[in-house]
Parts: sequence; C-alpha cells; structure tokens
Amino acid sequence: MANALAHDSHAHPTGWKRYVYSTNHKDIGVMYLVFAIIAGIIGAALSVVMRMELQEPGIQIFHGLAQMVYGVDAGAALDAGKQMYNTFTTAHGLVMIFFVVMPALIGGYANYFIPIMIGAPDMAFPRLNNISFWLLPVAFLLLIMSLFVEGPSGLYGTGGGWTMYPPFSTTGNPGPAMDFAILAIHIAGASSILGAINFITTIFNMRAPGMTMHKMPLFAWSVLVTAFLLLLSLPVLAGAITMLLTDRNFGTTFFDPAGGGDPILFQHLFWFFGHPEVYILILPGFGIISHIISTFSRKPVFGYLGMAYAMVAIGVVGFVVWAHHMYTTGIDVDTQAYFVFATMVIAVPTGVKVFSWIATMWGGSISFRTPMLWAIGFIFLFTVGGVTGVQLANAGLDRSMQDTYFVVAHFHYVLSLGAIFAIFAGWYYWFPKISGYMYNELVGKVHFWVMFVGVNLVFFPQHFLGVAGMPRRYIDYPDAFAGWNFVSSIGSYISAVSVLIFLYGVIEAFQKKRVAGDNPWGEGATTLEWQLPSPPPFHQWEELPRIR
Amino acid sequence: MVKPAQKSRFNLVLGLVLALVGAGMVGAAYAAVPLYRIFCQATGYNGTTRRAVAASGTVLDRRIIVRFDGNVQGLPWKFMPAQAAVSVRLGEPTTIYYLAENTSDHETTGSAVFNVAPDAVGQFFNKIQCFCFTKQTLKPHERVTMPVTFFVSPDFDKERQLKETRAVTLSYTMYPAEEPGDTKAEGQPVAQAGSAVLPSKL
Amino acid sequence: MRESRFMAKWTTGSILFAAGSVLPRLAHAADVKTGPYAWETHFQPAATKVMADITWFGWYTLSIMTAVVLFVTLLIAYVVWRFRERANPVPSRVSHNTLIEVLWTIIPVLILLAIAIPSFRLLYAEYDPTKLYADYNPQTTKFLTVKATGSQWYWSYSYATDQDSKDNGVVDAVNFDSLLVPDSELKTDQLRNLSVDNAMVVPVGTFVRLQVTGADVIHSFAMPPFGVKVDAVPGRLNETYFRAEREGVFYGQCSELCGKDHAFMPIVVQVVSQDQFRHWAGQAATDLPGANKTLAEAVHGGSNEKVAVR
Repeated sequence: MANALAHDSHAHPTGWKRYVYSTNHKDIGVMYLVFAIIAGIIGAALSVVMRMELQEPGIQIFHGLAQMVYGVDAGAALDAGKQMYNTFTTAHGLVMIFFVVMPALIGGYANYFIPIMIGAPDMAFPRLNNISFWLLPVAFLLLIMSLFVEGPSGLYGTGGGWTMYPPFSTTGNPGPAMDFAILAIHIAGASSILGAINFITTIFNMRAPGMTMHKMPLFAWSVLVTAFLLLLSLPVLAGAITMLLTDRNFGTTFFDPAGGGDPILFQHLFWFFGHPEVYILILPGFGIISHIISTFSRKPVFGYLGMAYAMVAIGVVGFVVWAHHMYTTGIDVDTQAYFVFATMVIAVPTGVKVFSWIATMWGGSISFRTPMLWAIGFIFLFTVGGVTGVQLANAGLDRSMQDTYFVVAHFHYVLSLGAIFAIFAGWYYWFPKISGYMYNELVGKVHFWVMFVGVNLVFFPQHFLGVAGMPRRYIDYPDAFAGWNFVSSIGSYISAVSVLIFLYGVIEAFQKKRVAGDNPWGEGATTLEWQLPSPPPFHQWEELPRIR
Repeated sequence: MVKPAQKSRFNLVLGLVLALVGAGMVGAAYAAVPLYRIFCQATGYNGTTRRAVAASGTVLDRRIIVRFDGNVQGLPWKFMPAQAAVSVRLGEPTTIYYLAENTSDHETTGSAVFNVAPDAVGQFFNKIQCFCFTKQTLKPHERVTMPVTFFVSPDFDKERQLKETRAVTLSYTMYPAEEPGDTKAEGQPVAQAGSAVLPSKL
Repeated sequence: MRESRFMAKWTTGSILFAAGSVLPRLAHAADVKTGPYAWETHFQPAATKVMADITWFGWYTLSIMTAVVLFVTLLIAYVVWRFRERANPVPSRVSHNTLIEVLWTIIPVLILLAIAIPSFRLLYAEYDPTKLYADYNPQTTKFLTVKATGSQWYWSYSYATDQDSKDNGVVDAVNFDSLLVPDSELKTDQLRNLSVDNAMVVPVGTFVRLQVTGADVIHSFAMPPFGVKVDAVPGRLNETYFRAEREGVFYGQCSELCGKDHAFMPIVVQVVSQDQFRHWAGQAATDLPGANKTLAEAVHGGSNEKVAVR
C-alpha cells in the first residue's frame, strides 16, 4: 500500500497506483488541478452554449439540443429545451463553484503548496486527503447524471438554479434529478469539509520551527481563513439540503408551508452558507495575488499584518451579511437596514487589500511576466466587481437590480474574472515549480489579453442589460435587449478561444521541456517553495527548514 | 523538538475537535428550524401573529382598518373572508368570519397558514380564537363560516414603523392537511356548520 | 394640473435630493417610451417617485463608484509605468506606513457613510409614503388594493372590495388571469415576450397597495419603471405600494426562477386616468373583455395597448 511506501523516501508507487492510492499532497494537488481543468472545460462549454442561445432573441439552440440529447419528439422539444436551458444555468453554477474554483484553489494550489510553504513534509492527514479528492469525481458524476433523469414532471434535469429554492426544488421537481443533485452537493461538501479539517490541522500543527503564525506566507493565511469558512458554513448547507431531501422524500415539512414550514427559512440557511462561500472562492485568490505582486515587484508585501487580518475580518463579517441576497423576499425593513450596514462594512477590509497590493508595487522594480499581468488584471477587475457589490448592498437600490443581469455581471466580475484570473495567475506562477518546465511567455501573454478582452465583453454589457430590467436565468428576452446580448455572446466566443490558447500553452510547455530551474523568478520569490528543486522531490523537508 | 508520534496525536485531537465543530454546525442548521419559529412567534417577525387568551383591557381611540385575504392551494375548496375589511379601535376585540366550501364529492381536511402585512404588525396582532389553530374537515359540498376573534394591541400605537399606518391585512392560505380529523384540537372545534350564504362570486 | 403640483413639490424637495436635479428624474411627458429599449444603459424612465429616487441613488452611487474605479485604475497605471523594472531597477524595502494605512481605512469609511445616509433614507421611503409624498396623509389617503398571485406560468390579479378600494372606483371584486400573448398571436402594437392578454389596470396618481403571493413555487413581481420588486412566496402575503405619476403601459417580468416558462410570464400594468379606471372597474366586475375593449377605445382608439415609441 501507498501508506507503507510513504515511509520509504527512495521508492514510491508508480503508474496509476501512484495517483489512485496517493497520500502525497503534491500528487493529490496535481490530480485536483487536472480535475478542475476538465470540469472547467465542461462548465465553460455549458456557458458558451447558453450564450449561443442568447445571441439573438427567440429560441434557436435548445429545442434542437433537447431533441438530440433526450430524444424527445419535435412536439415536446420546445418545453424540453426551455427546461434544458435552466439545467444548463444550474449545472454551470454548480460545476464552476464546486468542481472548478474550489478544487483548483483549495484542492490544487493549497494542497500542493501549503505544506511546502509552512515547512511541513505533508498534510496532517494524508489518507483523508486522498478520500477528499476521490469524493469529488463521484459527486461530479452524480451531478452529470442528474441532467439525464426526470426533474419536473415529464422533463429532464434539475433546473432550480444553484440556489435550489423550495418549493420549486421540492414540489416543483418531483423527479429524481433533484435528489441526484442534492447528493452530489452532499458529497462535494463532505469532500470540502474533510479538506478544511485537514488544512486547519496542518497549518496549526505542522509548521516548521520558527514559522510563527505572523511569519506565515499570506497564501497560508488565506487558506486558513477559507478552511474555517468551509468548516462553519458547509455543514449548514449540508443540513439545509438534507432537510430538502427529507421534505422531498420522507414527508417532512421543514420548508413546506402546508405543514407549517417556511420556504424563506431555506433561503436563510442557504445564504448563511452561500455568502461565506463566495469568500471561500475568492480568499485563496487574494493570497496568491499577494505572493505574485510581491515576487514581481521584488518587494515584501506591504502591510503584511493588515493583509492577514483584513482576510480574517472579511471572513468573520462574511457570516453576518447573508440576507442581503434576500431583500425582496419580504423581510422587515429594519432587518434590511441592518444587512445594508453590515454588507458595506466588508468594503473596508477589501479596500485595504486592494490598496495594499498597489502599495506593494509602489517603489518596486516591476517585471511584467505573465503571472504579474494576470495579477494586475485581477486587481482591476476585482475592483470593478467590488464597487457594483457596494451598489447592490443598498436594499433600496437592490430592488431594481435583484435577479437581473446586473447581479450576473457583478458576481462574474468578482468570480469569473476575479477567482478565475487568480487561478490563471497562480497557474503561470507555479507551473514551472510543479512541472519543472517553463511555459511560453508569449503564449501566456496572448492568453491573458484575449481572455481579458473576452470576459470584459461578456460581462460589462450585462450591467446595462440588468439596469434596463432584463431578469437573469431567461432563455429568451424581449427584443429590446438584443443588442447587448449579442455583444456579450461575441465576448463569450473570444473567451472560449482564450481557453484553447491556454491548453495550447500547456501542451507546448510539456513538448518543449524548457527547464525552469529552482527559482525562475529571482530574488522577489521568497517563499519556501522556491528553495526546492522544480519539480519538488516526492518528499520534501525531511530536514525541517529553520525559519529566520 | 516534538516527536513525530506526539505530533500525530496532536493532529488527531485537533482533527477530531474540528470534526465536532463541523457536526455542531449541522446541528445548528437543524436547531435553526425551531429557533426560527420561536423567534418569529416571540417577536412577530415575518408578520407572524400572536395567540392570546384574552383581550388586553385597554382600548385606545385610534382606529385602524383590518383587511382580510384568503387563498387556497391544492384543496378543492372555496375560501374567502366574509367581509373585506373592518375598522377597529386598538385593543378592541373583534370577531370576523371566513367562509369555506368544500366543492368536491369527498371529505377533505385543510389547515391554514397566515401572516399579517406589513411585517411590523405581527407582534401586535393577537388572535384569541381562530380556525387556523386547528385542522378543518369539511364533508362533501359542506359550507361553513369560520370565526376569528382578534385584537390589535394598543402598543401598536407606540411602534415607530406603524405611526402612520392606516390599514393592515390579515392573510390566510388554506392547504390540504395530512390526516383528517381534529386530533390536535386544543379547544372546542371552531367551525360551525354555516347558514351563511356564500357570495356568488368567488 | 396635478402634474404641475407634483412638479412643484418635487423640485422643492430636500437639499440632498436637489443635488441630483441635473440628473434624470421622473419622466412626465405623455409620449415617454415605456418598456426597455435597444442599447439602453440605465434604468427605464421612472413612472413613480420611488423609482425616480432609486434612479437618482443609482446615479449617485455609480458616480462615486466610477470615481473609485478611476482612482484605482490611474493609481495602477502610474505605478506600473513609474516602477517598471527599467525605470526603477532597485526596489525599495518599504513595507509599512502607518499614516497611509490609517488613511485608506478612514477614507473608504467616509465614502461608505456618504452612501449609507441617502441609502437608508431611500429604503425607508420605499416602505413609508410619508417620507416621500408631501400630499400623502396617512389617516385619510385611500389605497386601491390589488393582489397579484404568481402561478406556473402566469399572473392573476384580484381587486379588493374594501371601502378604500371602492372609493377608488372598484364596484365588486375583479379577478382575472394575465397570460403572455404567444408570438403567433402578436398584434403589431404588442411587444414579444412582454405583452399579455389582460393587463393589470390602475388609476394614475393613486396610491396602490400591491399585495403579492405565490400559488405553487416562488415567483417575483417586478415592475422596473415603478421601482417595484416583490417575491411571490407561497403561503405568505407580501406587500408594497406605488403611485404611478403618468399614464401608459408598463412592462415587467417574473424575477425568480420558477421553471421552464420563467421567461414567459410577463407583467403588464396599464395606468389610466381615474375616470377611465372607474369605468373599467365598473364594467370589469361583470364583463372583463368588454371592459378592456372599452378602455382600449377610450385610451387609444381601439388599440389594446399603447404603442411603445422606439
């Protein structure tokens, strides 16, 4: 077994066993990254098909797609297509959140680099780490299966959105598709909770001598805060969707008004998880960006403590703002006023982070390698997404924007353009370390610029659609919205091209095998991973590093 | 220097503590269900009305209009208030009626959920007697008149949000109840076979 | 007459809101476009005072936020240019500056306060007409009450028969469903995906208490030009108010995912004169198609809905 071999530093399992049985944090990290790339391609493909549908008013794609995929006859194709569009929005959201961003940032980068950065030989619970990973493909398969079984009567898949509000997710979706989706989220959630326990234990207990909390790299801080958010919020989602499951199948009435339940309670529970979840998606990105900005400015991070505690503050306040997603559900006006206030508070630590990144660059000697481009792009795009968030925080204004494309634009600016840019920044930053090969600088930069133009074209016009009143999750829209939708769709195709450039860059790097060396970034790269060879040895820090 | 064995024991202890925290949060999610209900009942949050044994005693001069609304979901019933609205003085107990008719050929049982709008009225809206306290079973094509006795607490007058409120609405939605019969009845059945004639327009 | 009185009140409004006087406000002209229009980049023209305030607040926050983004962008641009490797080969080692750290905490707090104060004002005004309408008397102003019920996949309206509603013209209960006009039956003056067979009709310049509930799953009643969005939750009655300041046909759409035809259950509110409403409500109690026909003739010489100018 891998476990027995793990004690032998000179031999380790090879071939498929190395990965399937792996308890090695770096191998598991690589598997997470590969998984996230595959899921990311699927999630992106879903979004491109939706943008193709929305390119023009009317229904062009989905009735034909439904006929092809589900084999329904022409008469039922339109209804099946409308439902299929909803399953696409739902699946796109769930895939991108649970199977792309979280696995890439937490499962991939954090798994690979947290033990190295804090001077630990491996994670605290290596076998748990293996289980965490392998739960994920199982969950993903269940989610994919949900697309092909009955949801609403006579229709396929669960089209209730990633938010799964009852009663649509209970009485509105009698078929088993919703049960599959719930189970998929349960398993993905269990995977993340186990991962969170592993990370917290690793970071608290496994730091090398001298690596105090206040010397720990910011990426480790960001993952620590993220892990706590996961540990405290995901079980609440697990509880809520379990209640949904029993409401659906065992006659309980937690959310069923007929039995004295309240559908709004689900929304409270969901967003108690859901709001910390958006910080779970972005905080590790904050950590990565801090490292990259510091490395390529050849300067230490400005205001290290402020940066670390800003993340802690965002995490803590993130737990008391959830109902800003529910301003229109009919909650009391005083309650809304409180949530407006609490939500705005978050802008302060977020501002501290943005300004600290710029201050890190200030006085630096900046080299514009690919990771730095992505990091600077991240700061700009995250700022744009952040300020629309401040607007949305105002309940009085939100009623004109809630559930419109303005919200879609906002959360894609902070997630699709924030978290994903952080993932790519991290990719180009650490690819030489993980693979040992240098990526092609030109390809990396072209990838950046094409994607930057593409995603801005997709999402900036959606602000306009939103304020003009176009609701989200619509397969078809009034003709007046055609113009900006067309622009948005063109942007989506450009972004799709950028994904191909990315894949080409990966293949090119492995073909050309340019040796990266231990530290391709020079004196600015100060964290411990750059003291190891590229790729790092199967077991690192057999002699624990001493931290000055 | 900490020995590896000791270190892994630390890890295990911390891991278990964290697992307990996670389990505790699942528990907290479940605890939220009754807590939310109790919170709403205690504070009138979400427009949840209160249940009272007797009227307050004090009656103010200030009058408000209490409007009534009825909805049915998933039941073969007609269900509506017998009067659109009444004008009441704060603190004054008032009895109003809802009309219900089973339009099917079999016996059916319903139970009502309710709220008042605006939300802030909930904590001041007291029901002394209400058909919504129990399940209601109607024989085929039976028509009943169902009373609600309520008063609006004089404290309504002191609430900042309600200083200017002229009218409030009490809304019921009648849902099918699982088992027929009045097994959970706490008082006498409040439904009385009605002689009231339903308006032709429902 | 009523329009000018309204204008006077509006322009003598608070100093805070007067600051927005150069910005788009409540649209009054009778031929103002209704419904969304092509390449639109901001809110639809407001038809209620609440929406005018929302629009103002939207511009207000947008201005501040644009300034913030511009500031950050210029800062990044300057840093990128000034401290590029070639221009500044030796990096400084500065990693602390207490003054600047205090400043970039305090200044955002001040900006947020500048947003929060009008924000709370706006929020409370949306729930309490006294804060916005000088001619509103809480003890005597009579609301017309209309209930909108969301079902898969259409809206139903019912006009209440309480005394206040009757004083506004309702004679007896009016209940009807409002369904999307399918593409194949669209008349030339109707809008695809927006027009319905039976619109909700309300009188101009009248406070309307809008109550919203759901019959199966959660829907959401949205009327962008009115600044109204209320979720239709089964088993719960939600309530808001609006007062339309101009006549016309206004469009909204369901705004909470409710299933396959979520995109096909639009909301149409037709605002007519108070006299026209009395006529309509009187006839609609017994003959809805007839009432709609009479109304259409009165409003637009036979057309069912007013043509949206575009």
